Amino acid sequence: MSAPSATAASTARGPGRVLVAVYAVFALAASARAGVQLVRDWHEAPLAYALSGLAAVVYVVATLALARGWRVVATAAVSVELVGVLVVGAFSLADPAAFPRATVWSAFGQGYGYVPLVLPLLGLLWLRHTRPRPTEPARSTFEPA
Amino acid sequence: MGAWWASPPDGGCRAGAATSLWTVVIPLALTVVILALALAAWAGVFAVRDRAVVLRQLWGAAVVEGALLVQAVVAIVVAVSGTQVHDAVTFWGYVACSLIVLPIAAAWAFAERTRWSSVVLVVAAVTVAFLQWRLLQIWGAA
Repeated sequence: MSAPSATAASTARGPGRVLVAVYAVFALAASARAGVQLVRDWHEAPLAYALSGLAAVVYVVATLALARGWRVVATAAVSVELVGVLVVGAFSLADPAAFPRATVWSAFGQGYGYVPLVLPLLGLLWLRHTRPRPTEPARSTFEPA
Repeated sequence: MGAWWASPPDGGCRAGAATSLWTVVIPLALTVVILALALAAWAGVFAVRDRAVVLRQLWGAAVVEGALLVQAVVAIVVAVSGTQVHDAVTFWGYVACSLIVLPIAAAWAFAERTRWSSVVLVVAAVTVAFLQWRLLQIWGAA
């Protein structure tokens, strides 16, 4: 996959690099954790562990998309992540019995210092900040011959 | 969930050799945590001052990485000598993760010559320190 320019993709430069780094840490942690849970302890809490698996996939996709500048994929993954943390967070508080084992998104990511809640918000803001603007008001339409 | 700092793990660790290894594990982990947090603070100062990572900080990261390698070797020796960790898959996952975090941050420090490379180094160093805490938890629950 080719980035738009010879250097890093626009979403992976400057502050974006920090975002990609934090996403990468979460992708790694969530994948490892979900892998162990799904393979070994699946029967203990199928719903919670299926959600852990989903969260891991979303983090991996978001990391790759932000790093390579796939804006549409990144926006979709980060949006799914935001919906996931809000829905799972609300349900885990409303009906704790349905989530006997913690997921990354339980209680709005409390177990991870609420980073899972803040990360998608920062991601969407960053994608908005770096969006391509084809018609900039400051740009002159005059083309020298 | 025993208090990992209160006593050495007893499961399979009654042999004298393994107990003396335990006296190595905690000081080593604390050393890594202190070095990693010092590196994070150093990079944090650079981030605040709007400076990119400098080579001397990467040497600092190399020192932390060296301590992590020593720790990985100790972990392998402890495992080979017969001490079982409570959650082996997670444990080795954390060991592997803690080894790759700093090299990636160092590679980015070359690619991103702005203050954001310092912020990435802060994130990486704090991640290493956090992984140490989790490693000790798992190790102590053996």
